[in-house]
Amino acid sequence: MIYLDNAATTKPNDEAVKFALKYTEDYFNPSALYKQGIKLKSFLTEAADYITKTIAPSGYECVFVSCGSEADNTAIFSSAKRGNAVTTSGEHAAVYEPFLALKQREVETRFAALNKDGSVNVEHLLSLVDDKTSFVSVVHVNNETGAINDVNAIAALVKKKAPKTIFHSDGVQAYGKIPFTIGDNIDYYSISAHKIGGMKGTGALIKKKKICLHPLIYGGGQENGMRSGTENVFGIACFYKAAELKYSDVVGNFEKVKGLKKTFLSKLDGVTVISGENASPYIVSLSADGLKGEVLQHILEEKDIIVGTGSACSSRNHYSRVLKECGYSSGVLEGVLRISFASDTTEKEVLTAAEAINSATQNLRKIMK
Amino acid sequence: MERIIIIRYCEIHLKGKNRNYFESLLEKNIRKSLSDTECTIERAQSRYLVKNFKEADYPSIKDKLGKVAGIHSLSLGYEVKTDEKEISDCAKFIMKDKQGTFKVETNRADKKYPKNSIEISRDIGGDILESNPMLTVNVTAPEHICNIDLREDGNTYLFADTVKGIGGMPVGSSGKGTIMISGGIDSPVAAFMMAKRGMKLVAVHFHSFPYTGEAAKQKVIDLTKIVSGYAGEIDLHVVPFTHIQEAIHEKCPEEMMITLMRRFMFRIAERISEKVGSQALITGESLGQVASQTIESITTSNAVVKMPVLRPLIGFDKLEIIEISRKIGTYETSILPYEDCCTVFLPKYPLIRPKPERVIEAESKLDVEPLIEEALKNVQVIKLG
Repeated sequence: MIYLDNAATTKPNDEAVKFALKYTEDYFNPSALYKQGIKLKSFLTEAADYITKTIAPSGYECVFVSCGSEADNTAIFSSAKRGNAVTTSGEHAAVYEPFLALKQREVETRFAALNKDGSVNVEHLLSLVDDKTSFVSVVHVNNETGAINDVNAIAALVKKKAPKTIFHSDGVQAYGKIPFTIGDNIDYYSISAHKIGGMKGTGALIKKKKICLHPLIYGGGQENGMRSGTENVFGIACFYKAAELKYSDVVGNFEKVKGLKKTFLSKLDGVTVISGENASPYIVSLSADGLKGEVLQHILEEKDIIVGTGSACSSRNHYSRVLKECGYSSGVLEGVLRISFASDTTEKEVLTAAEAINSATQNLRKIMK
Repeated sequence: MERIIIIRYCEIHLKGKNRNYFESLLEKNIRKSLSDTECTIERAQSRYLVKNFKEADYPSIKDKLGKVAGIHSLSLGYEVKTDEKEISDCAKFIMKDKQGTFKVETNRADKKYPKNSIEISRDIGGDILESNPMLTVNVTAPEHICNIDLREDGNTYLFADTVKGIGGMPVGSSGKGTIMISGGIDSPVAAFMMAKRGMKLVAVHFHSFPYTGEAAKQKVIDLTKIVSGYAGEIDLHVVPFTHIQEAIHEKCPEEMMITLMRRFMFRIAERISEKVGSQALITGESLGQVASQTIESITTSNAVVKMPVLRPLIGFDKLEIIEISRKIGTYETSILPYEDCCTVFLPKYPLIRPKPERVIEAESKLDVEPLIEEALKNVQVIKLG
């Protein structure tokens, strides 16, 4: 099988799983006061410190949560409490939907327009920010097009205009992939384990220590009271190891995948590439204009090549919200495929996939006349 | 005082000499539906009794019996010895939480009992009235009825709560039919309607991978499974339809796609039916709902088969179909959004009134028989229910 839907999830890394397995034997509750519990607690602290260091300078900390969505929700509902909140039209549903819910909490919500490649129109975003803006959220790497927003620069511009605003970025598609360090103007940054070879059910919110977090989940006071619930030790151990493996060569991987993307694009024929040149090399969004993405997906599935479509389900009227905002016609929206690589994707796989996409689109075009 | 459920049947009353056959069949279906519930089932005169069940199982028994075709209604009640005090105590008990108006209705099969039914109703009514001040008597339009049934065997049933069953005839009493199921709203409802009339079902689905995916097929499996809750086991035949669609698309006029596809579907469904001993085809067609369901389209597709084609929804409006679909629990699955069988090759302007001679001419460009044989050879059968 050639798996090219790594933006949806990645195969758990064998080494990370093996490392984490010992914590099924070390099954104690990290909150317990006997030595086994204390040992685990200090292991979790070590993991949190490590993960924080991979992406943030000192002054930041890591709160383990159950997924990227929870990290986003925690940040939003903790800090978008008054005035208005600004985000982009290119957010993942884990940010977009909580923003819709903010309306019911009497926080005005504003959505900045997108450029054709899915990146945010920074000028428009800034025009939406004013002295009543309590919260701004900008996705780091767009999960559909791979467009990279320069969130450090955007955060700086936002803070210049509204210094008290809290700035959040959803970094789920960037973490472990894009060489990046959180700059001083970013207050929250969401990440997820299963996009980098960890397990589903583990995510983290990287936050500035001095920001006071209002938890989403109350209970036994784990994670310094910021996220209650017995810690997912296995998941966190796996996350820790997977992050360590990614960050052992994040730049090298980035360059390698960049090469893969270049090769892939050079072989494609007869499709529209939606992802911009400066997008994350890990995600390529393309469209076979006039054809159906889901059908192409199944044709490739038959050849044991797994790719994503424009959205979770391509029913008649459910085009991707984000790509629609980018201004594409319904013909393009219907034919969207998302090909997403991992650092261990090979050139041979990419070439096979490109060839299969070409022949699938050509054959389908013949049939569709 | 013992908890019982009284099951009444519908049209079986109308049956003459073969009434016993229908009664036995319904009993068999009832037993099957309650096979994993701890209880006993007896046949009493023109009804069935469920006894010796756990109080907590009542809701699930009610749900299960609510899916058995042929059941007119169910009452949750009690059985007591035919003794005035026991009857009175039980009547007071079942009416203790009721408010508003009521009456007592007595049926006295036990002619040896010293009081007649009017006297029993009057006396027990008086007892109830005394014990529950929230009730008043209204014999013409009561909100609650306390039923007392004095049986010949020295026992009496009392019940005040009756729910309707789905009605119809016991499954297995009306032969076997083949439902052509698509994954939309209508065909599962059509399947249910025929199961309700006592038909055993076989299902045929046309699958066009890669034009439709695994999710669409799973949806049809899920729908068939829901229908099997009413119809008993269903063998779902998944027919690979891709090559036929591609051939029609390649060789025939675009606007005839649906008409020709349907002719293939009918032929294949008939062949499968013959093989498995099914006697009729069943579709979810509703007159005029879409282009393929005009009388002209129905005529051209019907023309290729000899078997009767049953269309239980032919006179139903979409909203009426949706209502049944919600009631039988298929609606939420039916509306899941996946590419279904027809959408990829859907012509912009399908023929609304196909002319038979033009259809036959277009079809003559296709190798009909080999295409059908190839599809039949690769049918996947999934046993459900």
